Amino acid sequence: MRVPQRYAELVRYKVAADLRAEAARTYLGFLWWVLDPVIFMLIFYVLFGLLLQRGGEHFVQFLLIGLVTWRWFHITVFNGANALPAGHGLIHQTYLPKLLLPLVAILTELTKFAVVLALLLVFLWVSGFGPSPAWLALPALLLVQLALICGVTLLLAALVPFLPDLKPLIGHVLQMLFFLSGIFYDPAEIPEAYRGYFLLNPMAALIDAYREVLLHGRWPGGWMLPSIAVLAAVLIVLAVAILHRYDRLYPKLIRS
Amino acid sequence: MHEPALSLHQAGVSYWRRAGWLRGEPYWALRDVSFTLYRGESLGVIGRNGAGKSTLLHLLAGILSPDRGRLINHGVRPTLLSLQIGFLPYLTGRQNAVLSGILLGLSRREVERQLDEIQAFSELGEFFDQPINTYSSGMRARLGFAVAIRLEADVLLIDEVLAVGDAGFRKKSTEVLKDRIRSDKTVVIVSHNTGMLRQLCDRVVWIEDGVSCMEGPVGEVLEAYERHSPTEGRLRTPVK
Repeated sequence: MRVPQRYAELVRYKVAADLRAEAARTYLGFLWWVLDPVIFMLIFYVLFGLLLQRGGEHFVQFLLIGLVTWRWFHITVFNGANALPAGHGLIHQTYLPKLLLPLVAILTELTKFAVVLALLLVFLWVSGFGPSPAWLALPALLLVQLALICGVTLLLAALVPFLPDLKPLIGHVLQMLFFLSGIFYDPAEIPEAYRGYFLLNPMAALIDAYREVLLHGRWPGGWMLPSIAVLAAVLIVLAVAILHRYDRLYPKLIRS
Repeated sequence: MHEPALSLHQAGVSYWRRAGWLRGEPYWALRDVSFTLYRGESLGVIGRNGAGKSTLLHLLAGILSPDRGRLINHGVRPTLLSLQIGFLPYLTGRQNAVLSGILLGLSRREVERQLDEIQAFSELGEFFDQPINTYSSGMRARLGFAVAIRLEADVLLIDEVLAVGDAGFRKKSTEVLKDRIRSDKTVVIVSHNTGMLRQLCDRVVWIEDGVSCMEGPVGEVLEAYERHSPTEGRLRTPVK
């Protein structure tokens, strides 16, 4: 069997195996993929919608769109950044292009996200936000977010073995970005003077665009999507170059 | 003799070890290793604990690359015989067998075709379709061995894993592995057990402190090794 085919088969089987193993770890299994964003939504709904009375219209839909797309970014970056240390057993027992390890993490989370997204769209539809022509922009938005996730995850995965201190830092930065991405509030409430800076955060801009498309039926405009796509492409190229360059150094950095 | 499969020319491998905050210094696990592995032979590597035998196997397997000197691959795909590679605790023995087989370099179809043999060899019976976190460590070892022995690598690298499981299985697995080593396959086997190498190898390389200090016929090299290290197995004093 040719080498690229062998690696494709390996990645496919490993993704399926990881998903199965994850589901088997708990009684509710796959159900947790859906429960996870719903529980987050309930927390923020009670806090901001009920207690602080600042929910706004259609707050449930508003929260779910932000949470589902954010959780995809968060979990993939968090797990994927640690893919090489987590795969030390494999790295020391066989030669594998190190790129494959974060790739498995990315595809595992992508699969889970696809299921949750499908349910989210169904929920939006039955709650009165059915498909509009603007939904045609959805694939582009999703692709750009996927590219961004790949860029950030691969780059961090390439760097963490060199700088182990990055790992705890990533958790804190993600926490900060969570508050800065407009997940439980509307960026429109931010004073005009700061809003431009706020939307420099690609996740804030993407979440805003998802809501424009899904809740208001408006097309995402401007340079936002192309600029994030370019940024993502640069990150991916850089990350792949580092992973390739130090392919056989990583086993030495990651001691079991 | 035969055609060369892999050759090392004054190869060295260094690790960084910490020497204070944000400072490191290189540590040469292999310093100067030269030898050639020929197609079809069984080459033994003898050396004491910490002599660099495992690093040498990682180098030959292509997991590491030499930091100095050269490793020349004459068109082979060497594979380290790794037991239980990639095992995931919540999957069944069958699923783990497939995963492990793919990681070792078999195609999914090749592993799936041999699942019955793997199940029979591992003596797991009904447990083959149970999650492996219900297994004893001996059962896991049996499954790991049953998968790994299916590997048809052109160069097989073995790191003293001849004996796994209980007495009965140990005998069986040792026999199967010996058959593989004695066949016309190319094998490198690393050990500090001279008796086993004497039984199984055509030639032996002796590694001392990261340096290949002798290479040749089994009897000659092992005699020299035993004369030199009568206290084989005991930890040496660190050499700076």
